Formats: sequence, structure tokens, C-alpha cells
Amino acid sequence: MSQPEPGGESGGAQSAHEAGDAQSLRIDRRTLVKGTVIAGAAAVITSKKTAVFGQSAQSFGGSPSTPAPPALCATRPANSPATTPFVDDLPIPLPALPTLLSPFPTKAANTNAGEAARDAHQAWDAFPPLLFYHSIAAPSLHKFHRDLSPTYLWTFNGRYPGQTFLGHYGLPSLVRFRNSLPIDHPVPAIPEISIHMHNGHTPSESDGFAGDFFGAGLWKDNHYPNVYAGVDQFGGLGDPREAMRSFWYHDHRAEFTAPNNYLGLNGQFILYDSKDPGHELPLPGSLRLPAYYGVTDIPLQLHAILFCPTANGRTEAFIEAAVPAQVDKWIINGKIQPKLTVRRRKYRFRILNTGPAKEWNISLIGSDGLQKPMTVVAVDGNFVQNPFVVNNRTLNIPVATRYDIIIDFSQFAAGTSVYLREAQAQFVGVPTADPAPNLPIGNVAMRFDVVNRELWFPADTPSIPNQLTAMPDPIVPDNTFTWRFTRDGDPLRFRINGQVFDHNRVDHAVLKGSSEEWVLANDVIAGNWTHPVHIHFEEGRIVSRSHTNRDTDGNIVSVDNVPLLPEELGRRDVYRLPAQDRLVIRMRFRDFVGRYLIHCHQMNHEDDFMMVRWDIVETVEELTRKRREIDERRMLAGLPPQYGEDAKKGRLV
Amino acid sequence: MKRRELFTGPAQPLASTCCKPGVSRMATLIPNALFRTHENEEVRFYDDIIKGKQVMVMMMYANCENFCPLATKRMVDLHHQALAHRIGKDLFMVNVSLKPEEDDPAALEAYAQMHHALLPGWTFLTGDRYDVDTLRYRFFSHDHIGLDEDPEQHAGLMKIINDPAGRWFHADVFASTRTVLEHIQWSDPPKPLAERLEENRKLQERIDRDRAVYGFRKIA
Repeated sequence: MSQPEPGGESGGAQSAHEAGDAQSLRIDRRTLVKGTVIAGAAAVITSKKTAVFGQSAQSFGGSPSTPAPPALCATRPANSPATTPFVDDLPIPLPALPTLLSPFPTKAANTNAGEAARDAHQAWDAFPPLLFYHSIAAPSLHKFHRDLSPTYLWTFNGRYPGQTFLGHYGLPSLVRFRNSLPIDHPVPAIPEISIHMHNGHTPSESDGFAGDFFGAGLWKDNHYPNVYAGVDQFGGLGDPREAMRSFWYHDHRAEFTAPNNYLGLNGQFILYDSKDPGHELPLPGSLRLPAYYGVTDIPLQLHAILFCPTANGRTEAFIEAAVPAQVDKWIINGKIQPKLTVRRRKYRFRILNTGPAKEWNISLIGSDGLQKPMTVVAVDGNFVQNPFVVNNRTLNIPVATRYDIIIDFSQFAAGTSVYLREAQAQFVGVPTADPAPNLPIGNVAMRFDVVNRELWFPADTPSIPNQLTAMPDPIVPDNTFTWRFTRDGDPLRFRINGQVFDHNRVDHAVLKGSSEEWVLANDVIAGNWTHPVHIHFEEGRIVSRSHTNRDTDGNIVSVDNVPLLPEELGRRDVYRLPAQDRLVIRMRFRDFVGRYLIHCHQMNHEDDFMMVRWDIVETVEELTRKRREIDERRMLAGLPPQYGEDAKKGRLV
Repeated sequence: MKRRELFTGPAQPLASTCCKPGVSRMATLIPNALFRTHENEEVRFYDDIIKGKQVMVMMMYANCENFCPLATKRMVDLHHQALAHRIGKDLFMVNVSLKPEEDDPAALEAYAQMHHALLPGWTFLTGDRYDVDTLRYRFFSHDHIGLDEDPEQHAGLMKIINDPAGRWFHADVFASTRTVLEHIQWSDPPKPLAERLEENRKLQERIDRDRAVYGFRKIA
């Protein structure tokens, strides 16, 4: 990849174009070999020796010659520029390769060498990192479509989407996130980052706490033990039933998460284990799902942007005072309406909605215009106990939600196409006939072109097992706690339990090893806000969902129990909470301590302070002290205490 | 023209000056409309209030009896306790009336007097309804258009703008003094790397000290 001329826009554009081409990993025989090597990397890189083959992060960006900052269009465009459907191949985000880090990572923060201040890595001695990665946040140019000019983004290692981390349970890893963002930045983004691996079982100091952001020139080592939850209880790597597969990493800078993610600071993170090993070979214990990364196991990272008109060789993403809620281009893996050639066999797609605000509702439509089945095997990275088929409704994907789905293309004839439909239409601008009956072109997010499987392409996997996993033991809560998500108070504001986010303030404390029943309540009387609630650290189980019916005066008429959807029966970390709904969930807090977050993952709401810091604490003494302080602070603010008399007396509540 | 489109354009076309070196990006975002101060002076919002300065902006109206006085008291406290050495020198406070039809300069002055807010470096503004709405939309909307048009639903956030540095932040005026001061500090011009590294080392010392004294990290 040639480096752009310093500060030269045309040079930068050229470079982005080339990078865009290199990124579209077309699966032919030649790249299959490459892809298989890549997919096998996770298995191969167990030896530290191979780390020397890792690419230097510098070769991907973070170079001194960064693109010039964008000249944003001054007024909101009515539409993005027109784009011809299905001209770009679906890009596959490159897997991140391990590298050597200098200076070598340390348990305590190496502030003398520029590491951001943090607590010492609490899992360092038990799970010392074996694989090291370098990820540099820096500006780069990216082409979202053949018909558009390059767009100024903030990316990791010069790529959008960010490289995919392919890890393995039992192989602790460490990612050095370096901030090389420019001081001169497009308002209202902020060149400060705190990277959260959503929703890893990660010690707090590596969890990307919203207040732990660091500025340009600094870096931070995030240590990922890559263990299952329940290490204290089960020993070893923890409870394998707590396995998660599909994660993503993204910036979590307090109050700027939406713009920083809109500009591209995110990517996927996959963890394998013997059940789901990243290959399709008939090894004992393997479920043998489609598994070759980039070949038969393909990430689909959903994004949505409103573009400015093309000017001066650039097509910038529109952003003014805030990230626009009205966007009109649907983007998958960094391309608008891409196409993907698929063989007549099963494929796994890891779908992730990166937001910042748009909720997706997808379905699969055949060339006959009829809906075709997709089988959901994992939700929020967790295998569901029994796979379920979606063939007569849409799959709802709030921000940050992940679905692993399997599509069997052997049901389609070679030479036909299948379409991923999004319920909301995008703006295309190029007159195009409906690709299938009753399927307007604006609703097509991407196209799959079905071909016969060549001899060299991996043969189909066996049928999907009826049971994928066993659920962990039922959670018996030690306590009940309610989180009220409202838009109320004076001044009117998004609030949780009557308060707005303050990274300096803890609003709930739980004891390590305990478990709680949490009620998520969207009690807003006026308005119709849906909050995709995200809880960091451990996955929860939904116990029940209810919906409150009110009359026009806001009085409660009835409370109905809402049957849970199949995707709500498994383990979750994003809980969709429409107005007047209450969700009862159960959570465990094991293995690590520190500061964690619960927040609305509609990133504009999150940036508007709809977020709470809660702590996992080591001792009863600390728990009692923090709970007492929380109640005192609430009473001083004119709010009712959360824990009541027991907290004052120093008793556990 | 749709009402929404009215809100989205800057008060004057600035596309030609946008984003050239040395031209603040804020100039494209912040309207330059005419306002009148509590001292009955005519000012241009961007040129006279924001340009080249670091400013804390909040909305209010003189007849507001619940939240505005509380917010104003909070700002008076901040003015006295923590910011006296900066206000009027490199940091300014601005309140903009949400009900410009009711609030003439005299009403604003009376409000400021009542709340002991006639302080150096602190300006109260009133203007045209359209310009007030444009300002609100620019500073405090997250695209919730319907809500943002309702004066009863002013979010009560404080916008902290640093024009030369091209940075802006919003803060909850009722957050702890420490948190509000942090937000102001975030909007300060970026410090040289060496200085930030030194601050980072001091933060690490605080974290380590907390651990030694309390057994857990107290500082956020």
C-alpha cells in the first residue's frame, strides 16, 4: 500500500482506493488458500514463535501522513449521493495478526512510556497474555461505494471496519490501543478513546470504562483473559456453558460514543473453543457449524450514514451538532449495497449492528419475492440452546446486538440471487427495477449470488445440531434491584434511577460472587422511547417481560405478561426495552472487580448521560461503605434511598 | 421551506470559509445572529460571544421558577468557588432566554440581580425567537426535533464551547463541582504531550495511593 502524500488529499484518496480494493477479499481459489490460512491462524498462532510473522501495525496506518480533515457540508443534505446497487463485493475485514509490542506490556501501567493510567491488570498472574496485538486509532480515508469519493473516517489500523480479532478460549490476549487521532477534529467527535470489548468477561481496567479515555499520543494495554465466566466457581477456564463467540470492540468515550463510532472506531472480536473451533473438521466435541473465517463464516457489520455531496474529491459523512438520526445509506462491512458470491452450501453470518442509533429489522428474500429461512444459532454471541428458524417475521437488531445466523444456500438454484432485506428503505438514487417481486431496491441491504460449489471449495457442513449448548445453572438471586430508564424530571432528561451519568459517581455496588435479579423498567409516561439496554461484564438471563397499558391520563389500566421470543430465551447482554415494558433478568458477578456500566446503547441517548456506573466489590466492608455513600448522596440530591435502613446499619441488603 | 430545514442551516452561509486553516469549525455550527444583552447592548452571537473564547452556555427564562433558579445558583456557586480566577479572563458564562418574547433586557437584568448573578464575565441574552430556536437546536438537540421545539422541555444541559480549540462539551449543571470542572477542563485547549503525560503520571499516583489507603480505586 502506497502512503499518501503528506497532507495531499488526492494522494490520500488514491491510497484509500487501493486499500479498499485490497480489502475486498474475493473468494476465489487463490484467496481461499489465503483465507484458510487466515482462518487457521487462530489455531496456528498458539506458538509465540509465529508472532514474528504478525504484520506491523504501522504498515496499516497511524503513519505521519494522515489525510486532511474533512470539509463538512454546512447544511444537512436532503439525500446522500446516488449509488448503483450491487457493484462492490462485500469486503471481509482482515483478521488481526499478533505482533511484538515494544515496550513489552506490564502488569502495572507503564506511564513512563505513555500508557494511560489504570489499575494493575487483576488477571495478569492467573492468565498472562500469550498473544499481543497493536491497534492504532488514526484518521484514514475509506471508499463506501464505487460511485462515491473517499470518506474521512477514524479507524483502527487504517481500516474500516476494524480488523477482526480471532482468539481462542484459554489463550489470553492483549491489545495495545494507541491513540493517534488528530487534535484538529471534526466537531462533535473527540480525539479521545476508551475501547470496550463488548461483552467480554473482562477485568474492569481493560473494559473500556467510559471515564477511562485517553488522548492522542497515549496508549493503553487491554488485557483479555479469554476465559468463561465462573473461574472462581469452576476453576480452570471457568464454566464452558458461559462461552460467548461473537464480540465487538468499539470506542466508549463518555459523551462522544455516537460520533466516534459513526466515524468508524469499531470492529469484531471472535473467540473459538473446541465446540466452535474456527474450522469444519470432524473433531470430537465440535458442532461443525460453518466456520472458516471470511470463507464460510462471514461477519456482517451493519452501519448507516448520511453522506454529504461529493466535493473536492471526498464524500464526507454528514455530522453537525450531533450524529444525524435520519440516515439513508445502509452499509455492510463498509460498502453500500454490496454483493457476495456464495456456494450452494451452509454459511454462517455474524451480524452486528454498530449503530450509532439505527435499529435494523432484517429478513431473507428469494428471487421469487418470498421470505426464505435463516437459522439463528447465537444471540449476542451466545449459542441458543436450540437453533430456531426465522422465516415469517423480521429479525430485530437493536444497536450493539449480535446474531449468528446460518443460511443454507443449497436450497437455491445456481445462478439465482437472494437478498438481505432491511425493513426501512434507504435512498438509492439510481433508478433500479425491483430485484424481486414486492422487494423495492431501497430495502435491499445486500445481495447473495448463488453458484455451484467448486471442487476446491470446502464441502458443506453436517446439518445443524438440534441442541447447541446447555444453559448454565439457574441463577438464584441474593437481591433484587430495579433500574428505571426514564425521560423525566426537571430539567427533562434521559435518566436512570432519577440521575444522569457521572463517571465520578457510583450508583450501585454488588459483591463479587453474588447474583441479583435486576428489573429493567422503561417507565416513561410521555413519549415512546425504546432503549436497547446494555450491561457490561456477565451475560444475563431474561426471566420475564411485561407491558403496562395506561389510559390517556397515564393511569395504569393493566399489566400484561409478554411471551418471550426465541431470541430472548438464551443469554443476552443487550435487552430491548420499549416504552412501558419491564424486563426481569438475572445476573451473576464473578471473578473480577471494578467499575462497570449499564446504559442505553442507542448511542445518542448514552451520550446524553443515560448511563450508570456500578461497581463489583471485593469485600463486604467496601460494599457497605459504597452503598451507604450512594444512599447519602441520593438523599442529598432529594432522591429516595436505594438500600434503605439496612445500608445505614451496615447490613448487606 | 420546511420548518426543519430552517433549523439546520447556519445563520449565514459560511461554506466558503469552512475548514480552511485558521478558521474555526465552530463558525459553521454556531449562528451569528443578533442578540441583546441584559445591559441592552446589541451583540452578534458568534462574533461577539463565542469567537476566540471559551464559553459556558445555558438556556433559561426569567419567569422559570423551578429549575432555572437552581441552575443559576449552581453557576453562581461555580463562579465564586472555583472559577473566579478564570471567569471574564479566558472563560465566560452566557445565559440565553428561551422565552425571548417575555424577556427583554430589563427582565433579564432583574433575574440576574435577584439571583446574585450580576457578575463579571457573565452575560444574559435575549433575541429573536427564530435565532433562539436555531441556537437550541445546534447546541442541545440530538435530533429529537419535536421535543427540542418545546420550550418546556429544555434539557438543562450546559454547553461548554472552546472556539479556538474547536472543542465543545455538554455537562449536567447539577453534577458534582468536580465533574463540572472536569468538563470545563476537557474543553481547555489541548495541552502539549509532555504536560499530559505528567498529568497521567499524577493520576496513576492517585490510583496507587487509593489502592494503598482504601484497598480500591476511589478516583474515577
